[in-house]
Amino acid sequence: MKPFDIVIVGGGGSGLYAAMEAMKTNPNLNIAVLSKVYPNRSHTSAAQGGANAALANKAKDDTVEMHIFDTIKGSDYLADQDAVEVLCSEAPKIIRELDNMGTPWSRMDDKTIAQRPFGGAGRPRCCYCADKTGHTILQTLYEQCLRKGVFFFNEYFALDLSLDGSRSRGLIAMNMKTGKVEAFPAKTVIFATGGYAKMYWNRSSNAAGNTGDGQAIAYRAGIPLKDMEFVQFHPTGLRKSGLLVTEGARGEGGYLVNAEGERFMKRYAPEKMELGPRDLVSRSLETEILEGRGFDSPAGKYLHLDLRHLGADIIKSRLPQIREMCMYFEGVDPIEEPVPVRPTAHYSMGGIDTDNFGRTIMEGVYAAGECGCVSVHGANRLGGNSLLDILVFGRITGRAAAEEAGKFNPSAIPASEVTDKEQELRSFMQPRGHYERYGTLREDLGHTLGANVGIFREASKIKQGIADIESLQDRFQHVRVFDTGDIYNTNLLQVLELKNMLDLSETVAEGALSREESRGSHTRTDFPTRDDEKWHKHTIYTYEGGRPKLAYKPVTMGRYELQERTY
Amino acid sequence: MSDSTIQHHEESRDVTFRVHRFNPQVDSKPYFDDYTIKLEKGITVLRALGYIKEHVDSTLTFRAFCQAGICGSCAMRINNMSKLACTTQVWDELDKAREPGVIKIEPLRNLPHIKDLVVEMDPVVGKMKKYSNWVDSRMPEEEWGKKEFLVSEEEFQAYDKATDCILCASCVSECTILRAHKEYVSPVVLLRSFRMNADSRDGIHDQRLAGLVQDHGVWDCTHCYRCQETCVKNIPIMDAIHGIREDAIERRGTKDTSGARHAEAFMDDIEKKGRLVEATLPIRTNGIGWTLKNLLPMAFKMILKRRTPPPPPLVKASKGIQSLRKELKEMASHVAKDHEKKSGE
Repeated sequence: MKPFDIVIVGGGGSGLYAAMEAMKTNPNLNIAVLSKVYPNRSHTSAAQGGANAALANKAKDDTVEMHIFDTIKGSDYLADQDAVEVLCSEAPKIIRELDNMGTPWSRMDDKTIAQRPFGGAGRPRCCYCADKTGHTILQTLYEQCLRKGVFFFNEYFALDLSLDGSRSRGLIAMNMKTGKVEAFPAKTVIFATGGYAKMYWNRSSNAAGNTGDGQAIAYRAGIPLKDMEFVQFHPTGLRKSGLLVTEGARGEGGYLVNAEGERFMKRYAPEKMELGPRDLVSRSLETEILEGRGFDSPAGKYLHLDLRHLGADIIKSRLPQIREMCMYFEGVDPIEEPVPVRPTAHYSMGGIDTDNFGRTIMEGVYAAGECGCVSVHGANRLGGNSLLDILVFGRITGRAAAEEAGKFNPSAIPASEVTDKEQELRSFMQPRGHYERYGTLREDLGHTLGANVGIFREASKIKQGIADIESLQDRFQHVRVFDTGDIYNTNLLQVLELKNMLDLSETVAEGALSREESRGSHTRTDFPTRDDEKWHKHTIYTYEGGRPKLAYKPVTMGRYELQERTY
Repeated sequence: MSDSTIQHHEESRDVTFRVHRFNPQVDSKPYFDDYTIKLEKGITVLRALGYIKEHVDSTLTFRAFCQAGICGSCAMRINNMSKLACTTQVWDELDKAREPGVIKIEPLRNLPHIKDLVVEMDPVVGKMKKYSNWVDSRMPEEEWGKKEFLVSEEEFQAYDKATDCILCASCVSECTILRAHKEYVSPVVLLRSFRMNADSRDGIHDQRLAGLVQDHGVWDCTHCYRCQETCVKNIPIMDAIHGIREDAIERRGTKDTSGARHAEAFMDDIEKKGRLVEATLPIRTNGIGWTLKNLLPMAFKMILKRRTPPPPPLVKASKGIQSLRKELKEMASHVAKDHEKKSGE
C-alpha cells in the first residue's frame, strides 16, 4: 500500500484547516483526515465567544502589538514570545480568510466584521458570529473541505503510531463501523485531536470525547508533552451540568453576584471587574464559595451570573444559544432570573510539545490546536485565543507537513501490528472473575482530579490525587468490555478513551506537584506566589517505564520583560 | 454528584425506556428492550441512556458527544419524534408517552441503519456535495486573507437563522418525501442550499439553482411542514424551501421545469376558480406528449371506473371564492406570526 503523504488525526478546526492548507500548498498530495466523529460534530462547534484579531474594526487604535502583549501577560509570561508573535500577526489574515470562504461573521453598521470585548484584552478585538462562532467556523471549514474533495475517514478511532525504531511510519486506527483495525502508512502524521480537560469528567465543560487521544498516543510513542499541569477552569459553567456560559455573556455586560448580592469582582479585579482573565475570575468564584458567600443547592454551591439588566433584546439577539442552554439544562430564563454558575474545567493549555511549525521531536509527526503546545497560551489562555490558535497553527502545520512530506520515505507497516492490536482489543472482552465498569472509573477519575488537582492545589492533596490515579490504573486492568461485537462498539471505544485519560492524568498531577509556585491557572496554596527564578520554564514529560519523567525547557523571551500580573 | 448516585430526590420515579435494538452481526431482525430505572426530575434522555449503558447494559449503542445541543450527534426518535436526546427532558416525554411511564426510543428514519440507535450519515454528506453546499467564493483563493467582504446586516439576517443548522438529520428522519424517494434532495440540503444562495460572497448561485430544480430537487417537496415542526434549532426550513422556489421562478421563469409549471398551473386555478382544474393539470405541468405517453392508460382506467375529473368547462368558480381568498390571506398572516413567535422564543 502506497503511504499517504499526510494523515491528519482529528476533524475539528485545526485538522480541517491543516487539510485545506495542505491541499492548497500541493494539490497532488494524498491526504486523509481521520476523525472519531463526523468532522462537523467536533468540539470546535462548542466554542461560543469568538476569535481575537487586531482588525481594528471596532477600536481604531487596536494593534497587533497590543494583542501580543495581552496574550503574553495573560499567559503569566509562560508563553513563548516568538510563537505569540506568529499567532497575533497572522490573526487578521486568518479572520479575513474565513470571511472570504463564507464564515457568517456578525457585522457592524459599516458592514465590516463586528468585534466585542473579551477577558484580559485591552481592546474589543474578539470577532464573533452571535454566540455560535465555533459552530459556524467549523461548518465553513467542513464545507470548504468537501468543496476541495478532502478524503475523510469518518468514525475511525486512532490507536497507535506505528514505529520503525524511533521513526513514525504511520498510524493504526479502528474503523468504528466495522470494528476492523486498519493500518494507515503515512509520510507525515498531524495530531489535531483537541484537548484533554474531559478527564475532570462531571466538572468539565468538554464534550464526552475530549479525552486527549492524540496526546496519549504521541506520549506513549515517546514524543514529549509540555505544560500539562495547566488546565483552565472557566468561571461560568452551569451548576448542574458543567456546560459553559460563554465569556461573551460577560463581554456583553453580565454581572457576577454572590449570595450577599455583591458584585464581588470589585474586590479581585477592581478595574476589569467581570472581564478579568479566566484564571483570576475562576479563583475569585471558588474563593467566594469556599468563604461561604455562595448559594447552596443539592447540585452543589454556586454563584449568580446576572444578565437581566441587558434586556430581552440583547439576550435574544447576541446570546440566543446561551439562553436556550440555560432553559434546557437549568430551567432558568436569563431574561427573568440570574443564571446559577460555578467554575468548570474547560481548556488544556498543555499538549504535545511542538515548534512554531507544529513539528514534534519525532520526524514527520506534527501536532496542532489544543492537542499541541507551541506554546502561545503559557499558564493561562485568554478567551478568544483558542479558536485563533487552532486556525493559525492548523494552517501553518498543514503547510509545513505538505512541504516536508516528500522528505520522508517510511517503511511498510507489518501486518502483525494490526493483528496484534486486534488481539489486544479482544482481550478487554474476556470474561473475568472480578471486573470493573469503565463508567465508575471515569467518574472517580474526574472526582479526584476536581478535588485534588483542581483550581486550588497543595502538595498533600495532589499526592492524594496521584495515589488515586495509581489505584485507578490498577482497577483499569480489570475493566471488562461487555459488548463483544465488532460493529460500532462504543463500549470498547469508551474504555480506550478512559485509558488515554488515565495516562495523561498522571502528567497533569505530577506536573502540578513538581511546580512549586502559582502561575496562571496553576494555583498552589502552599506556594502562593509566582517564582520566576525557579519556575519560569516549561515542564516537559516523557513516557518512561510507564510513568511520566519530568524535565524542563526555557521559555523563549522577546520584547516583553517579566512583570507582575495585575488587572 | 456522579451519575451512579442520582440522589437528592426532589421528585423521582421509575421510568421505562423501550429501546429499539438491532445488531446486524447477531440479530435477524430488530426488537425492543425495556430498561426500567429510577430517575430524578430534571434529567435528560441522553443522561438516562448513559446511565443505562454504564450501569445496566453496556452493549446499548448510541452516538453522543457535546451533550449541549450543538454537535448534533444524539438525534434519535423519542416517542415517535426525531430530536436531540441531550436537550430532551425525561419528564417532558413522560407527559407525551402513550403508555404511562414508558418512553419509546428508536433510531432516525430514512437513513441506513447501523446498530441500535446509530444510523449512517454518509447519504446526507453525499447530498451536501451533490448540491454544492458551500460558499464558492467570488474571490480567487490566492487573494484570500487580504481584505474582508462588506456584508450588510440585512443580508446577514437573510441567512443567520439557517446557519444554526447542526446537521443532526432530525428533519431528514421526519421527511415524508424521503420515505418515498431516498434520492430526494432532503430538507437539510435545501436549507443549506438556500443559505449559500443568499450569500453575496458566493459565486455559483445560478449553477446551484440549476441543480436544485432538477428531478428529486426543490419541486418535490409537498409542503407538509414536518421538517420545520421537527427542527431542533427552530429554523424555518419551509421558508428556505419557498425561498428557493421563488428564486427559481424569478430567475428561470415559470416554463423552466415541470415543477415550476405545476406551481404556475396551481396558482392560475386558485386565482381563477378557487379550485383545481385537474383534467388539464398534467398537460399544463408536463406537456401533451408526456401526458399522452404516461397517463393515457391510467385515463382509460379512470373512465372505466367513472373516476375522471370533470372537463374544464364544467369546473365552475367556487361559490365561496371571495371568503376563501379572505381565509387564505388570514392564514398567511398567521403563518407569518408563527414564524415571528418561533424565532423570538
